[in-house]
Amino acid sequence: MDFLIDAEMGRRLAAAREWGQAEVRPVGREADRLGRPIPTNHPYFEKVLARGDARTRWRPGSRSAGSAPPRSGRSRSTVMALLLAEELAYWDRGVGVANPGPGLPEGNVIGAGTEEQKERFLGPFLEPDRPRWACFAMTEPGAGSDAAAIRTRARRDGDGWVLDGAKCFIGNASRADWLLVQATVDPNRGRAGQRAFFVEQGTPGLGGFKIEKKSGLKAYESTSFSLTECRVPAENLLGGERPRSDRPEGFKTAMRTFNAGRPVIAANSVGIGRAVLDEALAFARGHGLLGRDRVRDRLEHMKRRLRAARLMCLKAGWLAQQDNIVEASLSKAMAAQVGQEAATFGMELIGTVGARGDHLIEKLYRDVKAMDIVEGTGQIQRMIVARKLVGLPRG
Amino acid sequence: MAFDFERSEELSLLVRTARELAEQQLAPAQRDSERARGVADDLRRGFDSVGLSRLELPESLGGAGLGALARVLVNEELGAGDPGAALALDPAGVALYAVEELAGEGALGELIAPLLDEPGARALLALAPDGLDLGTERIEARLPWVAAARCDLLVLLDRRRAVVVREGLELEPVPGSGLRAAGASSLSVADAPVLARYEDEAGASRALARARLHTASLLLGVLRKASEYARAYAQERVAFGKPIAHHQALAFMLTDMHAAVELARLLVHEAAWWIDQRRDDAAACAACASAFVEVVEASRFIGPAGVQVLGGHGFMQDHPVEKHNREARALSLLLGGVDAAREDAGRVLAEEAAPVALSTAQGEGEWTS
Ligand SMILES: Cc1cc2nc3c(=O)[nH]c(=O)nc-3n(C[C@H](O)[C@H](O)[C@H](O)COP(=O)(O)OP(=O)(O)OC[C@H]3O[C@@H](n4cnc5c(N)ncnc54)[C@H](O)[C@@H]3O)c2cc1C
Repeated sequence: MDFLIDAEMGRRLAAAREWGQAEVRPVGREADRLGRPIPTNHPYFEKVLARGDARTRWRPGSRSAGSAPPRSGRSRSTVMALLLAEELAYWDRGVGVANPGPGLPEGNVIGAGTEEQKERFLGPFLEPDRPRWACFAMTEPGAGSDAAAIRTRARRDGDGWVLDGAKCFIGNASRADWLLVQATVDPNRGRAGQRAFFVEQGTPGLGGFKIEKKSGLKAYESTSFSLTECRVPAENLLGGERPRSDRPEGFKTAMRTFNAGRPVIAANSVGIGRAVLDEALAFARGHGLLGRDRVRDRLEHMKRRLRAARLMCLKAGWLAQQDNIVEASLSKAMAAQVGQEAATFGMELIGTVGARGDHLIEKLYRDVKAMDIVEGTGQIQRMIVARKLVGLPRG
Repeated sequence: MAFDFERSEELSLLVRTARELAEQQLAPAQRDSERARGVADDLRRGFDSVGLSRLELPESLGGAGLGALARVLVNEELGAGDPGAALALDPAGVALYAVEELAGEGALGELIAPLLDEPGARALLALAPDGLDLGTERIEARLPWVAAARCDLLVLLDRRRAVVVREGLELEPVPGSGLRAAGASSLSVADAPVLARYEDEAGASRALARARLHTASLLLGVLRKASEYARAYAQERVAFGKPIAHHQALAFMLTDMHAAVELARLLVHEAAWWIDQRRDDAAACAACASAFVEVVEASRFIGPAGVQVLGGHGFMQDHPVEKHNREARALSLLLGGVDAAREDAGRVLAEEAAPVALSTAQGEGEWTS
C-alpha cells in the first residue's frame, strides 16, 4: 500500500491549482453573480485554448486510443485524472464543464465511432482554431434515470435518418458544434433499439434551445431543445449502419459514458467539499471560532468524511481496468452526500454571512446538490451497488 | 384539561384563512416576489385584510391577542406559501416579542403598534453580535445580513436586556441567498443613540424563545411544502415502469421526510403550548430551543432531499424545491442558528434535577404465567 502523491503528480496538481486560483475561480464566481453561463466569446475560453485544454485525447491512426489502452499505467493515470478533476472542481466545478472541448461524448466517439467519424467530429478538436464544444444528449423531459424509456425517435428515410423528439438539461448544447443525440430506432427492442446520432449545429429541425435557470453551477449552460423532422445523413449514425460485433450496442455505449464518469463526479464532489472546508476553516480562524467544540466537531467531521470519500473515489479510479462497478457507484453516491454535508455544515458555521448570498460557501451549497443528480442519481448508484451486493432484481 | 391534540374551532378557522392566503396569493407570486425582492401591494392588502399582522398584538392595542399556538399554526401555512413574503408582510416581526416581554404593553403601543399602519415598515430583532456591549449610550454594530430592505426599528437582544435603536441604521443591499422576498441587506448601526433600554433576564429568555419558535414554525412550513411537493411529484413521475414513489428507495425517503416534518411539528406545538401556559419559563425556553434545533436538523435532510426527489428537474428554478432548499438554510441561520439554540436547550437540561437512574430499579411485581 502506498498513499503517497508523488512529486510528479504533485507538480501537475500544483499547476492546476495555480490555474484554478488565477482563472477558474474568478470566472465561476462572475457567472454565478450574473446568473448566466459564461458567454462563448469570453476571454477565459481563449486562455483555455492557449493552454491546450480544449483538445481531444484522440489521435488519428491510433485505432483504439482510449478504448483499450495499454494495461499498465492506465490505473495510475486514471488516479491522476481524478485528482485533477477534484482540483478543478475545488476552484469551480461549473467552469470545468463549461470548458471547451469534446467533453462528455468524447469517450463514446473514441470507443464506438468509425474512423471516419472520429476524423470528422474529433478532428477539429485536435488543434482547435477557436473554442469548440460538443455535447451528449440523453435526458428527456419524460425520462432521465430510466434512460431506456427515452422517446426520441430516429426513422430511416432514404439515405439518411430523421429524428423527432425533445431533450433537456443538456450541457453546452446550444454552443456545441455537434450534439451526440441518443434516440430509439426500434421501440420494440427497448434499450437494445437505441442508437446515437451526430446532429450538427444548424441542421434544419434542430432548435428551440432554452437555457434553463438553475439553482447553481451557473457557469455552464444546461439546455433543452427539440428535434423536429431533423434529417441527418446515414454517416452520422455512431458506429455506422452495422456496428462491428466487438463494438457495444447503442445503449451500452451510452451507459459507458456514465460508468466512466462516476468517479469523476465523485472527485468533483470531493473538490467542492474541500473548497467548503478550506473556506470554513479560514472563516473560523479569522473569527476566533476554532476553540469552540461545536465548530471543531463540524470541521473534523467534514475533513474526515472528505478524506474517506476521496480515497473511495481514487480506489475506483485505480481499479479502472477491472470490475469497479461497485467502487465507482459507491464513490459517487458517498462523495455527493459528503459534499452536501460539508456545504450544509459550512453554511451553519459562517452563520448569517452565508445568507448574504455573496459568500463562496453559499454558492457551493447551491452547486453541490447537482452532484447527487447528474450521471446517475444517488438512488440509481445505490441500486447498482445493491444488485451486486444482494442481488437486487432489476425493475 | 386532559391531553388533547384537537384544535379549537377558532384556531381551525384561522389556519384555513392563513392557508388560503398562502396557497392562493403568496405561493403563486413567490418567484415574482423573490425577483422583486419585495411583495406586491395586493399581497399586502390581502394579508392585512385578514388581520394576520395583528395576530399577537394585545386586544387593548387593537390586535387579536392570540398566543403562540395561533402563531405557529399560522406561520406553518405562511412558510409553506412563501416565508420571505411572510416576513415582509409583518411589520412587527419578532421584535414584538422583545418589546412585549421586556418592556410591556405601554412600550408595545408606543414603538410597535404604529408600524402596523405603515405599509412596508419593518421592525427587526437581532441577537447582539459577540463582543457588543448593550450597556453603552450609543451603539456601533454590523450585521452581515438581515432579511429586509428597510428597517424602521431595530431591537438588539442579549441574555439580559434589549436595546431599541431607530437612528443611525444603514442598510446596504446584498444578493441574498434565501428569503429574498423580504429583501436582503447588510445592516450597519453607526454610532446610534439608544432609544430605550430594558433590563430583564427572564424577559430576554422568553423573547428569544418566542422568536425562535416563530422562525422554527416558518421553517416547518417550508419543510412541509418541500415534502408535500416532492411526494405529489413522485406519485406522478414514472420511471422504470411505475411512479418513482413506488420504488422503495424513494418511498422510504419520502416517508422519512414526512416523519421528520411530523415529529418536528409536535415539538413546535408543544413548545408553543408551554409559552402560552406561562407556568414554567425554563421549560418553555428549553422547549422552544429544542423545537428550533429539531426543525433545523430536519431541514438539513429535507432541503436537499426535496430537490433530489425531482432529480434534474429539482435543480431548475421551474420548480420551487430548489428555493425551499435555500429558504430553509437561510431561516436556520437566524437568531444565532442551531448552535445557540442547542446551547440553550443543553443548559436547561444540565440545570434540571438529575433523574433517578432507572438501571438500578429492581421491580416489585410477581410474574405469573
Ligand atoms: C446540472 C445538470 C446537468 C445535466 N447535464 C446533462 C447532460 O449534459 N446530458 C444529459 O443527457 N443529461 C444531463 N442532465 C440530466 C441528468 O442526467 C438527469 O437529471 C438525471 O439522470 C436524473 O433524471 P431525471 O432528472 O429525469 O430524474 P428522474 O429520473 O425523474 O428521477 C427523479 C427521482 O426518482 C429517483 N428514482 C428514479 N428511478 C428510481 C428507482 N428505480 N429507484 C429509486 N429511485 C428512483 C431518482 O433518484 C430521483 O431522485 C443534467 C442534469 C443536471 C441537473
